[in-house]
Amino acid sequence: MLDEAVRQALVSAVGPGNVISDPVGLRSYECDGLTGFRQVPALVVLPLDTQSVAAAVRVCHEHGVPFVARGAGTGLSGGAMPVADGVVISLQRLRRVLDVDPVDRRAVLEPGVTNLDITKAAAPHGLYYAPDPSSQQVCTIGGNVAENSGGAHCLKYGFTTNHVLAMTVVLPDGEIVTLGGDSGEQLGPDLRGVFLGSEGTLGVVCEITVRLLRVPETVRTLLADFPSVPAAGEVVSDIVAAGIVPAAVEMMDNLAIQAAEKAVGAGYTLDTPAALVVELDGPAAECGEQFEQVKEICDRHGCTRLHIAGDAAERAKIWKGRKAAFAAVGRISADYIVQDGVVPRTRLAEVLDRIAEMGDAAGLRVANVFHAGDGNLHPLVLFDADAGELERAEELSKDIAELCVELGGSLSGEHGIGTDKACSMPRMFGVDDLATMDRVRSAFDPRHLCNPGKLLPTPRLCGERPGVYRPHPLEEAGVIERL
Amino acid sequence: MTTTTPAVLTPTDLRGARDALADTAGAVRIRGTGTAAGWAGSPEPAPTVLDTTGLTGVLAYNPADMTVGVRAGTPVRELQEELAGHGQRLAFDAARVARGATVGGLVATADSGPLALGYGSLRDLMIGATTVLADGTVARSGGHVIKNVAGYDLTKLLHGSYGAFGLLAEVVLRLHPIPAAQRSVRLDCPLSTAAERAAAVLGSALEPVALEWADGSLLVRVEGTPEGTEVRARQLAELTRGSVLSEDAAEAAWARHAELVDSPPEDRAVARIGCRPSRLPGLLGDPAGTGGTGGLGTGIGTVTVAPGDVERTHDAVTAAGGTSVLRQRPAGALRAWGQAPSAVRVLTALKDELDPQGRLCPGRFELWFTSGKALS
Repeated sequence: MLDEAVRQALVSAVGPGNVISDPVGLRSYECDGLTGFRQVPALVVLPLDTQSVAAAVRVCHEHGVPFVARGAGTGLSGGAMPVADGVVISLQRLRRVLDVDPVDRRAVLEPGVTNLDITKAAAPHGLYYAPDPSSQQVCTIGGNVAENSGGAHCLKYGFTTNHVLAMTVVLPDGEIVTLGGDSGEQLGPDLRGVFLGSEGTLGVVCEITVRLLRVPETVRTLLADFPSVPAAGEVVSDIVAAGIVPAAVEMMDNLAIQAAEKAVGAGYTLDTPAALVVELDGPAAECGEQFEQVKEICDRHGCTRLHIAGDAAERAKIWKGRKAAFAAVGRISADYIVQDGVVPRTRLAEVLDRIAEMGDAAGLRVANVFHAGDGNLHPLVLFDADAGELERAEELSKDIAELCVELGGSLSGEHGIGTDKACSMPRMFGVDDLATMDRVRSAFDPRHLCNPGKLLPTPRLCGERPGVYRPHPLEEAGVIERL
Repeated sequence: MTTTTPAVLTPTDLRGARDALADTAGAVRIRGTGTAAGWAGSPEPAPTVLDTTGLTGVLAYNPADMTVGVRAGTPVRELQEELAGHGQRLAFDAARVARGATVGGLVATADSGPLALGYGSLRDLMIGATTVLADGTVARSGGHVIKNVAGYDLTKLLHGSYGAFGLLAEVVLRLHPIPAAQRSVRLDCPLSTAAERAAAVLGSALEPVALEWADGSLLVRVEGTPEGTEVRARQLAELTRGSVLSEDAAEAAWARHAELVDSPPEDRAVARIGCRPSRLPGLLGDPAGTGGTGGLGTGIGTVTVAPGDVERTHDAVTAAGGTSVLRQRPAGALRAWGQAPSAVRVLTALKDELDPQGRLCPGRFELWFTSGKALS
C-alpha cells in the first residue's frame, strides 16, 4: 500500500488525469513480455513531460518508494516487472518525435516513440535508424535504451549503444542531467554508455538523440537450404573468413522452419535440416560482387536450394518467416520458453550438439532460431505444461543459458538479465565483478529505489521460483511476438 | 608541495597489477608510453607511478571469432601487426598510435582518428575489460562475444576516464577484416567549400569511412572491394569535384593529417573539440585557431591556438553546444576542460564509490571531483 500523502504528491506531480489506481487498470501493468513474473504495482503514473517525470521521481526518492520505468512492456526478461508497493512510471505518453535533422543526421525523441516510428520519421530524408529488434513495431526507444537492444542487423550496424549520441535522464533522486553530447567526443568518462543497457536501474531516460544512417543503395537477400546444421554453420564461417560483413545472417533448424512455414508460408522448404537467411547491403557494385561470393560459398557446402529475393516483397516474405518463427512454435508445441544466449561464433556447432543432447536427456524438444553471424542463440524449449513438463523445461532453458557462459559466451545477447536471469549472473561474473557493478549502481542510486531487484542477484529473488507461463495480453492480441 | 622521486611499479600481469594497487597507499599515477601526458588536466605529483608498459601481449586471439583479448599496455601498433597476419585489424586510427600509444592509454583518453566516421571509437570496439580498482579489487565486465547485454557495461566507464576510476589491465576488442582495397579523394579548397562538398558526400550512398578537413584540403576515403572502391572513388571525385589519389599520394595525405593532429608547434595549445558536424567548420575556422583538422561527418576536430586564446576557444565551443579539452598545455595555468558535464555529480559519486580515497590519477579532471571526498 502507498501512503496517502505519497499518493497525493504523485498525483500532483503528474496531474490527476495521468494516474492509474484502479485494480483492473493496475493489473495490465503487472508484467512485461516475460509473463511468468507478475506483480501488481501500487500506482501507475503516466507523466506528459520530463519535468513531471522528475517530479514523480523526486516524490519517490523523498518517501523511499521504489519505482520502475516502463515503455511498451515488450521486454523478455522481466525488467519492467513492478515492485510490490511501488510505482510504475509509464513513458507511453511521452511519444513525440522532437526533431529530425537531415543535415547532422540525427533525431531527438521522447522515450515512448516506437523504434519503427523513428525510421518512419527519418525516411523522407533518405535516412533510417539502424537497430531493428523484431518487436520494432511496438517496442519503444526508451526501452531500447534500457536493454541496449540489438536486432537482426546488429552484426554489421551494432546495437543501441552505438547509435545513441545523448540522453536527457532523470536520476534516481529526481535531478535532470544530460549524458553524452552532440558528437562522439566525450567530456570525461562515457556515462551515456554505462546508462545504456542498465535495464532501468540507473535512472529514467526522457529524451534521446540518435544517429540516423543513409539508406543503403542496395539490399540483397537470399534463403539457402543445407543438408545439415554444421554445413550451414561452415557457410557462416566461410563468409566471415572471406572478409564479408553481412548485414544479417540468420539460421533456423528444421523444427523452427516447420513452425515458421506452417504459420506464415514464407516459402521455406519443410523437410530441410537447416536454412540460412543472408542479407548484404551497401553500395551496389560491392554488394553485387560479394553476393556472388556468398552464393559460391553456399554451393561449396552442398546447398540444396538457393532462393534469391527478387524484390522488396520477396525479401519481406523471407524475413516474415524468420521473425514469426518464435510465435509460430506455438503451432508445434503447447507451450514453449524462449531462451537468449550467446557463444563465440566458432562454437555454434558445439553448443547446438550439446543443446540437442540436453534436450534428449530432458525428454524435451528444442527448436533453434538464431543470429548466426554473432553467435546469438534463441533456443526454444518446447513443452506441455498440462503434462507436467514446465519445471523440466525451465531447468533445461536455464541450463542452456549457463552452457553459453561455460563456452565463453554470455547469458544474454539482447533480452537482458532483468528478473529472469539475475540468479544466473554469478555463473558469468565473480563476486568482485558483481560487487563492483553494485558500487556503480549505488553511485547513481544510493537508496536502491530505481527498479530494485533487477539485473544483479539478490537473496530474496534468487530464493523464489518464477510462476507458470501465461501469454501476455498483447501477445494474445497478436500485437507483440516473443523473440 | 614537495617533489620526491616516485616509486615506479611495472607489473607484467593482472596479479602484479592488482598487487601494485593493493600493496601501496597514497596517490598513484598510471602511465603508459606517455603519448598523452600533456592531455587534459595536469597530473598531480604522486608517490607511486604505475607503469603499464610491462602489461603487454595478446591473451586470446581466435581469428575466426574476430575478437582479441590483450593486456592493456600493448601498443596498438604492435597489435595491428599481429592481427594483419590474419587479414584483420582493429578499425581504429588515432594519430598517436604511430608513436606507440597503448590500448589502455587510448581507451583512457577516449582518443579516435578519422576512421571513427565508419567504425566509431574504442568505446564501440571494446567488448570486455578487466579493471583493477584502487583497493585492489579486480572487476571484469563484458566478455569475449560481440553481442552481450549481461550486467553493466563498465568498459564505457573506463573510456575517457584518464585512469581516475581504475587501472585498465586487460581489454577485449572487436576486430574487422582488413578491406581488400581503399581509395581516397582530395579536393584543395577553402573550408566553406569543403563543408558544402562534405554535406553532399554524407547525403550520398557512397559510404565514406573517413571524411576530413586538413591543411586546406577535403579528404575522403572509401574501403571495400577493388572494383567497388574504384567506382565509388570516381563518383566521389565527381561529387566533390576533387581527384582520386594514387596509393602513395593517399598515404602521404593521411600522414599529413596525422601529423597536424599529433605534432603541433610546442608553444601552442591544442584543443580537441566535438560538436554537431555542421557546426565544426565554424569552430575550425575560428580566427583564434590555425592548422585545424576535423571530421566533417563526426564533428570531432583538433585546433591549435595561442595559449592566450584557450579561454576564448573553450567559450566558443561551449556556445556551439560542444565539448572541448586541451591536448597540449604550454607552460602557464590553462584551463584544460571546457564546460564540465551536467552529470559531474554522478562522476563524483562514482569516484567516491570506486576510489573513495581519491588515489588514482588526481588532477586529470581538474576540479570536477572536489564536491566529494575525492580530493580530500
